Amino acid sequence: MYLGIDIGSSSSKAALLDDGKKILGTKIVNLGTGTKGVYEALENLYAEAGITRADVRYTVVTGYGRLLYKDADRQITEITCHARGMHFLMPQVRTVVDIGGQDSKVIRLDEDGTVRNFVMNEKCAAGTGRFLEVMARVLGCSIGELAVLAAQATEDVAISSVCTVFAESEVISQLSQGAHPNDVACGALRAVAKRVAGLCGRVGMEPEVAMSGGVALNATMVRILGEELGCDVTPAPDCQAVGAIGAALLAREFYRKANPVETA
Amino acid sequence: MSSVQSIIDALCEKALHPDRTVAESCKQAGKEAVGFYLYAPEELAYAAGFLPVGIWGGSTEIKLADRYLQGFCCSIMRADIEYGMRGTYNRLRAVMLPTVCDTLKCICENWKVAVPQVPIIPVVYPQNRTLPAGEEYLREEFSRVRRELEDLAGQSVSDAELEAAFAVYEAWREAMRAFTKVASTHPQTVHAKARHLIIKAGSFMDKAEHTREMIQLTRLLAELPEETCAVRAVATGLVGEPLGVLDSLRENDVAIVADDLAQESRQFRVPARAEGDALSKMVWRIADQKGCPFLYEPEKTRGQKLIDLVKENKADAVITLQMKFCDPDEFDYPIYKAELEAAGIPLLYLEVEQQMDSFGQIGTRIQSLAEMLL
Amino acid sequence: MESALTSKQLLAKLQEEHYAGAMQAKKEGKLVAWATSICPQELLETLDIDVVYPENHAAAIGARKDAPQFIANAEGKGYSADICSYARVNIGYTDIQFSEAENIPMPDLIFCCSNICNTALKWYENLAKLLHIPLVMFDMPFNHTFDIPEHSIRYMRGQIEHAIAQLVEITGKKFDYDKFGEVMKVSSDAALWWRRATDLGRNHPSPLNGFDMFNYMAMIVCARGKESTRDLFKLWHDEMAEKVRLGIGPWKEGEEKYRIMWDGIACWPHLSVTYKTLKKYGINMVTSTYPESWTIVYEKNDLDGMARAYSANYANRNLDYGTGNVIKLVRDFDLDGIVYHSNRSCKLMDFRQYEVQRRIEDATGVPSVVFDGDQTDPRVFSQAQYETRIQALVEMMEKNKIKKQRGDLK
Repeated sequence: MYLGIDIGSSSSKAALLDDGKKILGTKIVNLGTGTKGVYEALENLYAEAGITRADVRYTVVTGYGRLLYKDADRQITEITCHARGMHFLMPQVRTVVDIGGQDSKVIRLDEDGTVRNFVMNEKCAAGTGRFLEVMARVLGCSIGELAVLAAQATEDVAISSVCTVFAESEVISQLSQGAHPNDVACGALRAVAKRVAGLCGRVGMEPEVAMSGGVALNATMVRILGEELGCDVTPAPDCQAVGAIGAALLAREFYRKANPVETA
Repeated sequence: MSSVQSIIDALCEKALHPDRTVAESCKQAGKEAVGFYLYAPEELAYAAGFLPVGIWGGSTEIKLADRYLQGFCCSIMRADIEYGMRGTYNRLRAVMLPTVCDTLKCICENWKVAVPQVPIIPVVYPQNRTLPAGEEYLREEFSRVRRELEDLAGQSVSDAELEAAFAVYEAWREAMRAFTKVASTHPQTVHAKARHLIIKAGSFMDKAEHTREMIQLTRLLAELPEETCAVRAVATGLVGEPLGVLDSLRENDVAIVADDLAQESRQFRVPARAEGDALSKMVWRIADQKGCPFLYEPEKTRGQKLIDLVKENKADAVITLQMKFCDPDEFDYPIYKAELEAAGIPLLYLEVEQQMDSFGQIGTRIQSLAEMLL
Repeated sequence: MESALTSKQLLAKLQEEHYAGAMQAKKEGKLVAWATSICPQELLETLDIDVVYPENHAAAIGARKDAPQFIANAEGKGYSADICSYARVNIGYTDIQFSEAENIPMPDLIFCCSNICNTALKWYENLAKLLHIPLVMFDMPFNHTFDIPEHSIRYMRGQIEHAIAQLVEITGKKFDYDKFGEVMKVSSDAALWWRRATDLGRNHPSPLNGFDMFNYMAMIVCARGKESTRDLFKLWHDEMAEKVRLGIGPWKEGEEKYRIMWDGIACWPHLSVTYKTLKKYGINMVTSTYPESWTIVYEKNDLDGMARAYSANYANRNLDYGTGNVIKLVRDFDLDGIVYHSNRSCKLMDFRQYEVQRRIEDATGVPSVVFDGDQTDPRVFSQAQYETRIQALVEMMEKNKIKKQRGDLK
């Protein structure tokens, strides 16, 4: 059995794979790096698959918290893992978008699923989950509720500022002028989508485009990103676990490479 | 006899403590220091009996400089003004700053007010540097700088002294080119951080002294067996900093085997022409510098130069160290990016600032590059 | 009949003719150049090359709120969001080649002058490389001394001679020095009338509303070497002189309560809100540094004088000159305050602003505020911040007025 772990800034994900590349299970816990989240996810995963830690031959850890996790055999970046996971789940995909809490990234894949090129957001928070968090705070809701509000929007309120601080004051003044929170929420999603579209341009986007990560659960965000890119965007199945699945696939690969006889 | 490692360690130590190194160098040579950044007619200052030392900013908290500069100013220049105001540069008799971008024009002007205790000598490099009128202008500009330095030194500089100073610098440049060549085959001993610091040490030492060290180091290095590494990269940008980036490169076994950095190879990659007097040679070294974002070049050969560097050094990728808010570099990037893509050379873009303290995401990018090239 | 037009109508007509004329010229296979705003256009006019100005075009696109698509295009190619937004808009336009706002023909050559900034040089270098067309570049060294150094003038003159040779080769035409002399004269005259008109802002109340000046500026940028431009500014001047005679102020309704200078270019995408906020408080922008920037006046056939004039604009001069210039404006125009636009696009203007502001305040006691904005990128502006700063300025100006009335302040 092979284990992939993806420790993000706000959630921990784990995936289990067998020798035949069959996914035995995935688990997501909404606690990120520096918490007990990852151990909780693993416990649940083992229990559900009816195995113990001793059954795991090889573990790869990825994500923002990968360097702090000491029980893995190897750590690999989320770029490589998302690419690998996505190619496994949706082999036709050439561009992967992942909007993370700290970092957003766009990855260009070759036909065989290897990374051709990638870009990440710069230091500025616009275009990341952090921007959505700030917007949600102004609207007095959670990020999850932001999506619900946005889905009911009747029009977009344009949030033009790129700077998160400016955008915050812009949104406050929009609200005080009577803009509907639904429309402001929609505007916040569009502002992020525009930034991510910029990253797509830089990496040289090619169809098909798919989204991984928790933000892909937000159907409004997926739709708006598609509008900004001028093409269809598909959320990956089990989108939150794409990085963990990629890590598990790599774990299997590394193990087999190191033990060619046993796995032949 | 010194070993390779002891020479490297000593040079790194010097580069890490500019203040101390400059003080020691001044004492040893019996000279006073004059600061410079990027391009400057260092030979003139050297001939006038000064020790030219680099002022390449540094990783420091910006407080005082906010009086003059908005937050979207290049972090090297913010740091220079900060150090100047704080008195860190009080040892310098003057600084020479080249007016090669809009920011530097303003920095020269602000310097007059912000750091009045250290006189500023702006050097206006002509952009039409290959036209006869441009060459003539630069000659006259250098002559003006020479007069200002002579006033500062209280003595005139003879042509013979200038020729001698130029010879010291030309020997240094040759030694540096020889070093980078040998270093490229020893990416473990001369890893990214060591390479940067060894070169940077020259900014704070008497060039004659640095040349001696470099010649010895190069000779000893050449006797060692060649080494390999995971990724051989060519770096481009202003400076190979902050150091956190270089640590991250080393952790991922990514070596810098050649560079197109303003602080490193661009200082010494152009050899002097054979003919002419020292002043003419100085003018032509600027005319002959190609692929530099600070010097006008309608053909824009930087991309091709990078491709050549990759080939010559059997490199796997190019790494852009983009100093945030450096306009000239930012304008060049999309052009050479497209050219490298067309040539199938992977390019990693890292936006950096001198006052950075978190390298998590940079580390992820560097590791991803290494994984991508596996 | 042409004489029946007001200057505003004539401005609109000339602007339309300028852009339509360039498109037509391209269609007819004539050479079209793209040029920077304060360049020696006399050379192009003499050789009958049609010229359009990407800065003016980008401003028009910005004012009509069409900039984001071009900015997104350029940033998608790897251009940093930190570089000049005129450059980003224009580079985006070279790819998309259509705007609802205004269109320009693609160039056959590029004509660039570094007296406005080094950024233009990098921008045009890229254009020439991308479009595979010749680039004529004038380098006007920054003047760190108050006066323009002699060796600098010789260098510029050498470049003018080189540029003429380049242009003769590109066009295959002979350079007609008689015509050149004529164009020099018309250009100087147009610049003089521009200056005379904008100088009327000194009157109380000022017949000039500075946001109008931003509009009229289009023609001093785009067609300085044409007689029609000279005539436009003369007409504008005469209209305002008549207003002065009648004691009419800048607006139809509302009186001019405060007189300010605006430092830096307009926030084109937020032109209306920046203007209306000022007007709401009775603030009239009576001048800026731009009237002087285009006062490019020299004797006919004096190439050294021409070089000196082009090198002498505000942006290319040292702090002492800049300060003296603004102090003079404060006195000549009897200003109550100054608004500094910290324009994210323009590092050359920005990074001297703080020191200039302090010196002007010390020398004149006139209050001022700085706000963050951008000339064409709508994302770098906060209406709330702008409004607060302007309100703060009003409070300071009011306090000064009371002091003045009491006689505490001269």
